[in-house]
Amino acid sequence: MRTNHMRSSYLHALVFVLPALVIFLTFVYYPFLSSLYYSFTLWDGINKPVFIGFQNYRDLFHDTLVRHAALNTLYIVVFCAIINNPLSLFLALLLHKPLKMKSFLRTAFYIPVILSMVVVSVIWGNLLQYEGVVNAVIEKLGMGALLHDWLGELSTALIAVILINVWYATGYGAVIYLAGLASIPTEIYEAALIDRAEGWTKFRHITLPLIMPSVTICTFLGMVGSLKFFDLPYVLTNGGPGDATSTLALVIYDFAFKNGTFGYATAAGILFMVLILLLTTVQLRYTRRREVEY
Amino acid sequence: MSSGAYVKPKRHKIRLMALEAALLLVALLYLYPFYYLFESAVKPAKDFYTPLKFPSKLIGDNFAKVFERVNFPLALLNTVLVCAGTIVLVVLVSSMAGYMISRRKERTFQLIFFLFLTGMIIPLQTSMVPIYKLGISLHLINTRSLLVLLYTAGTIPFATMLYTGFTKNIPRELEEAAHIDGCGRTRTFWTIIFPLLLPATGTLIVTTLFTFWNDFAGPLLYLTDPNKMTLITQIFRFKSERASDWGPIFALCFLCTMPLIIIFLFTQKYLLQGMTAGAVKG
Repeated sequence: MRTNHMRSSYLHALVFVLPALVIFLTFVYYPFLSSLYYSFTLWDGINKPVFIGFQNYRDLFHDTLVRHAALNTLYIVVFCAIINNPLSLFLALLLHKPLKMKSFLRTAFYIPVILSMVVVSVIWGNLLQYEGVVNAVIEKLGMGALLHDWLGELSTALIAVILINVWYATGYGAVIYLAGLASIPTEIYEAALIDRAEGWTKFRHITLPLIMPSVTICTFLGMVGSLKFFDLPYVLTNGGPGDATSTLALVIYDFAFKNGTFGYATAAGILFMVLILLLTTVQLRYTRRREVEY
Repeated sequence: MSSGAYVKPKRHKIRLMALEAALLLVALLYLYPFYYLFESAVKPAKDFYTPLKFPSKLIGDNFAKVFERVNFPLALLNTVLVCAGTIVLVVLVSSMAGYMISRRKERTFQLIFFLFLTGMIIPLQTSMVPIYKLGISLHLINTRSLLVLLYTAGTIPFATMLYTGFTKNIPRELEEAAHIDGCGRTRTFWTIIFPLLLPATGTLIVTTLFTFWNDFAGPLLYLTDPNKMTLITQIFRFKSERASDWGPIFALCFLCTMPLIIIFLFTQKYLLQGMTAGAVKG
């Protein structure tokens, strides 16, 4: 009698989880597993897929488009990490001080987060064009030598994309760091004050170790976000000029929906996922080890 | 930082004011793109390439052109339908799942939870081709329902995590009491637990709403019918059609962004909570 009751309640419990599980398996896991299969096939999306083993993967390693896009993606990830992260932290440290306009300032810095990348592209695409605001300001400041068609020139396009992301994401990071700073017990700072730890010393030996969890998360989110860069380069530059701003996410889309090489695109997608896994695991290991308990 | 622990010297105060002024200046620079968005939507075309001057006059022509060329109410309706549909579905299925995962000790439930978490790392690019094929075979391609299902599936990991965490703070005695009073599991959940999970639901809505509203890749890949397009895809289409007639494009961008800004200003406190809740567990 009792076991029967337990069984039925176990089944009942499963029913609660089932809808989520079904939707999740159908639209996340099933497509993922079929990707694994399709990545070993020659397939145009219309005819039957033909199994060709590792051929797609071998081709990918010799594809200069892919190599270029992978390099660009890595540049974006690394630069976003080393620019955005310290900047977010610096901003958070300043905003953590007892300022009068605190709430306005915080809002101002994190409001870009609500914008669609398409809208961001329209705005920044215009600000950065040759007749745009950025150049107009540079000219006003008498630095005419610095004028550029920022998004149209090979040498500056990628930098421009990275800087747009800085504008977009720094406030978001600052919010996470602010939460980290708020969770540090004030007693620790009081103890530090007695030990006369101030300024850089205080930051280096007290604040930084204690907010390492926030560093871990910020770096992780930033890396995943910039690895998946698609909307911004797609709408802003469509990967150009040349392939100066093409990213992995962008070339995979092109392989599938422009060239119709579906099998090849899925293989690139699988490699892309492996890359994300590798980079984030290394990063998590590296920053997690520096976290301290208090 | 450590306020009140010691008396602040006057120099300290002045430095703080200088910092405040500097931050204010930077903040205004940060907000400039928002001003530029608004300004470009209301200034005449002839002023467009003198970017630093104030508009010679403010016009509504750009908005008129938008309403002439784009079925704005329809696009807005599509966006709202997709967002609302996703939120309802994801709240329903994730609250149920999260609650049970938090309450049951069996391995099955922990395994399912783990499965959800691993799903977080699969990027859209890995599965977009099979999803396209799945959409065709389920007769869901070119429907708003497919977007709803995709967004729901993508949000289930975060949402379930959120609900699992929140359920832990609800005392079990509450359910036991309801059980003794003859309330079944399902009724207990909907009448007692679900209302108590409302804060989690609020957090979930404000943190994900912007993502659904702003998504571009999903509609780009799986919607082709202009009558079903969301606001963001309409911007993209409009932009491709009217290459350099920027006024109306900005007007459309402004119209699409306004609702978000309003929602943001009212919910930013909860948004912050959601962002950090998601981040802390990320």
